[in-house]
Amino acid sequence: MQDHVTITIDGAKIQAVKGSSVLDTAMEYGVCIPHLCHYPGLSEIGACRLCIVENVVVGKSKVTTSCTLNVAEGMVIRTDTEKIRRLRRNIAELLVAQAPNSRAIQDIAVRCGVTKVRYPFHNDNCVLCGRCVRVCAEMWQAKALGFIGRGKHRHVDFPFGKKPDYCKTCNTCIDICPMTTIPCIGPMKKGEERLCGSCEGQLMMTTNITDQCVWCELGKGFQCTRHVQAAGAM
Amino acid sequence: MVAKLKTFADLGAARTCAQAKRNKAQTVTMCCGTGCQASSSQKVAEAFKSELAAAGLVDSVDVRLTGCHGFCEQGPIMVIDPANILYCHVTPEDVPEIIATTVRTGEVIDRLLYVDPASGEKITREADIPFYRAQDRTLLGQNRRVDPSNIEDYIAIGGYSALTKVLGGMSPEAVIKQIQESGLRGRGGGGFPTGRKWEQCRAAAGEEKYVICNGDEGDPGAYMDRSVLEGNPHAILEGMLIGSYAIGANQGYIYVRKEYPLAVSNARKAVEQARQWGLLGENILGSGHNFDVEIARGAGAFVCGESTALMASVEGKVGEPRPKDVHTVKDGLWHKPTCLNNVETWANVPMIINNGAAWFAAKGSNGSTGTKIFALTGRIKNTGLVEVPMGISLRKILYDIGGGAANGVAIKAVQTGGPSGGCLPAEKFDLPVDFDTLTAAGSMIGSGGMVVMDEHTCMVDVAKYFLAFLQDESCGKCVPCRLGLERMLEILTDITEGRGRPEQIEVLEDLGDTMAQTCLCALGRTAPNPVLSTLRYFRKEYETHIHDKSCPAGVCRSLIRYSIDPGVCTGCGACLKACPHGAISGESKKPHAISETMCTRCGICTDTCKFEAISVC
Repeated sequence: MQDHVTITIDGAKIQAVKGSSVLDTAMEYGVCIPHLCHYPGLSEIGACRLCIVENVVVGKSKVTTSCTLNVAEGMVIRTDTEKIRRLRRNIAELLVAQAPNSRAIQDIAVRCGVTKVRYPFHNDNCVLCGRCVRVCAEMWQAKALGFIGRGKHRHVDFPFGKKPDYCKTCNTCIDICPMTTIPCIGPMKKGEERLCGSCEGQLMMTTNITDQCVWCELGKGFQCTRHVQAAGAM
Repeated sequence: MVAKLKTFADLGAARTCAQAKRNKAQTVTMCCGTGCQASSSQKVAEAFKSELAAAGLVDSVDVRLTGCHGFCEQGPIMVIDPANILYCHVTPEDVPEIIATTVRTGEVIDRLLYVDPASGEKITREADIPFYRAQDRTLLGQNRRVDPSNIEDYIAIGGYSALTKVLGGMSPEAVIKQIQESGLRGRGGGGFPTGRKWEQCRAAAGEEKYVICNGDEGDPGAYMDRSVLEGNPHAILEGMLIGSYAIGANQGYIYVRKEYPLAVSNARKAVEQARQWGLLGENILGSGHNFDVEIARGAGAFVCGESTALMASVEGKVGEPRPKDVHTVKDGLWHKPTCLNNVETWANVPMIINNGAAWFAAKGSNGSTGTKIFALTGRIKNTGLVEVPMGISLRKILYDIGGGAANGVAIKAVQTGGPSGGCLPAEKFDLPVDFDTLTAAGSMIGSGGMVVMDEHTCMVDVAKYFLAFLQDESCGKCVPCRLGLERMLEILTDITEGRGRPEQIEVLEDLGDTMAQTCLCALGRTAPNPVLSTLRYFRKEYETHIHDKSCPAGVCRSLIRYSIDPGVCTGCGACLKACPHGAISGESKKPHAISETMCTRCGICTDTCKFEAISVC
C-alpha cells in the first residue's frame, strides 16, 4: 500500500504518491506541464526551467521547478497562472531563438505561446538539457558523456574529446535527444531561421483557452496523457 | 611543541603567559595584508627587524606583523604604540630614520604622516584620522592587535574566552538563543538570520552534521572576508567552534578561494596551531566536545560561493548549484544537515557571546543589527575597508569615511553588493545601509563591496561589464541564466555600439524579471540586478545611447569622437608621437587634427596632451 498525500493543483484536490515529484503527479492527472530536461527514470537537474509552477506557501507564492519539487501534504500548486505563462513563454523564446532547428523546441515554443522571437536567432544544435549525459551515466552506467566547461563554454562531450572504449555505442543518447528531429518545414540554414508556426492553426483556435494542447510530437516522448490515452484507444 | 590545553584553567594560564610576553615598552605594528604587501610592506618589516637588532632594541620594542588595517590607500602602514603614531607609505629606506627618531626619542617624522585632504593638515595619531574616527571597528580593529600566525596573540587579547564561556556552562539551546536575540544576519549577502539557521540545523534529523565557513569571496571590488581570514583566522575558528557546539557538529570546513594564497596559508597555520594547543580535536578543554576543521581550497569559480555549489566542490564534484527545494540545513554536505555561514558571520559570534546579545543588538538599525565591513573601491579618495554599524547612511560612508570623490568629479552612483547588487544614484545616498532598505531600493548589501562611480562612468558600460563577468562565471546549467545573460549582453552590446532600438529596453526588463524569478540559484536570480537597477535610476543614459547615439560619459568607443581644439593646441606634437595608430597629423607649432577613420578611440592622446586641447564628444 503506497502512502499518499493530498495536494491541490490548480484548485483540484488530488491524491499524490508520497515521494513523487509535483511534475510526475500533475502529468499523471493530465495536467500537462511543459518540460524538456525531465525524462522518466532519470534524475532531475532542473536545468530547462520550463516546468516552473507557483508553490503557494502561507499565501506567498514562490516560482520553482515542479520536477525538483516533491509533493508534501497540503501543498498548493498553480501551474497555469498569468505569471507562469509569461515566464514560461520567455524561457521557451530563449530556447527557440537558440535552437530553431529542433522540432521539439519549436513545439514547446508554440505550446508555451511564443508568437514572436525578440532576439536574433542562433543556430545551435544543443540546449544542454543533459538527457544524454544522464541516460549514459544513470541508465547505462557508462559515463561516456559529460558536461565540459562553464557558462557559455559549457557543452556536452566525451572525456578529453575522444570517444572512450567504455562507450557502449548503444545510441540511447541520440534516441533521447530532443534535437534530432528537424521541424516539419525542413532544416533552416543560417539566416533563414524562424518560428516554425506549423501548429499555428490549432493554436489560433485555442488561443483563448488556457489548455493550449496542440498534440505536440514531443508529447509522445513526454508521456503526455493525451498521447498515452490515444495509444491505448488504438 | 606546546602542551595541549586540557582544562579551562590551562587556557587561563596560557592567557596570562601570553599577555606577559606582550608588555614591551613599545609596539610597532606593521600591516602585512595583501594590499600592503603589494606595496612591499614585508620588506619594510624585515628591514625594521634587522635594524632593530642592530640597534639593540629588540627587548624593548615589539614588532608585530598583522593583517589588513583597512586603510589600503595609504599602505604600507606602520603604527607605533603607545604613542599611536601612524606612518603611511613607509619604504625600507625610511626605517633607519624611524628607529633613530621615533622609536628612540619619540620624535615624529613629519613627511611620513597622513595628510588630511580636506584640511591639508598632517595628523599624527591614528585615532585622530577621520577615516578611522567615523568607524566602529569592533571586528576589523582586532586585526591590528594580533599577529595572525601566532595563536598566543589572539589568546592574549581575550581570544577563546567565548569558547570557555560556551563550553563551560551554556547549553546549545542557550547559545542559539543568544545568537537569535542578537539579530545577527548572514554577512555573505543573503541576510538570513543566523540564529534561525542554527536552530533549524540543530533540529534537523541526523547524527552527523557539518559546519562550513564560506570564504569564497569573488565579487569584483570586495575583499572583507580576505582581510578577516588573513588577519584574524582564530576569531573564525572560535566562531565555528561555538557554532559546532550549538548545532551538534563535529567536523567543519573552511572554504577559501585559491586566489587568496595568504588567506589559505594563514588559515592553515591557525588550524594547525589550534590543534596543537588542543583547541581543535577531541575533548576540547575537557568539555567532551569534539570538533576539527579542514581547509578546502576553491579552484577559481565564482559560482562556488553559492552554498550548494560550494558543498559540491568540497565533496570533490563539479561546483554547480543544485535545486534547493530542500534546504542545506537539512540536506547539505554529503546529504547531511549542514550549517554554512560567511567568514564575517562566524567572526562576529565570539563577540556576541562575550559581550551579550543586547550589546550587539544595540548597534545598527531595525532589522539589521551589529556592524558590517564594507570594501570601498573605485573613484573615491580613501579606498580600503571600513566597518560601520548597520543603518548608517551611504553618504556618511562615502563622504565622512571615504573622503568623497577621488579626482574632483562628482560621484554619480555607488554599486553595492558586487555583480549581483545594483547601482544606487546620488539622490539615494541618504538611505540607511541595511539589508531590507537596500533590497527595496533595487540593490543589496551583498557581501559588502562598494564600487564608487563618478561622472566619467557610463552606466550602460558598467552594466555590460558586470553581465560579461557573470556570463563567464555562470555555471551554464540552467537556461534562463545561460541564455538570458547571453541575450542581455547582446542587447547591451548593441546599445553601446550604436545599434540600440527603443523596444530593447522593454525586452531587457521583461527578460530581467524572468531571470530573477526562474533561475536555479541565487547567482542567476540576482544576475539581472546591474541592468535592472541602472535601468531604474539611469534610464536616461540608456535612452541617450539609443536615440542620440551618444555616450554622455564618453566611455562607449563606438559612440564618441575625439577632437582637437585648434585654438588651444600649440602643435607640440606630443599626441602625434603618442598615437599608436597614426591617426593624428599636423605640422609642428600648428594645430593638429585627428583623422576619424583611423582613430580607435583609445584615449592615449587625451592623456598625453598637457594643454587639455583634446576633448571627447
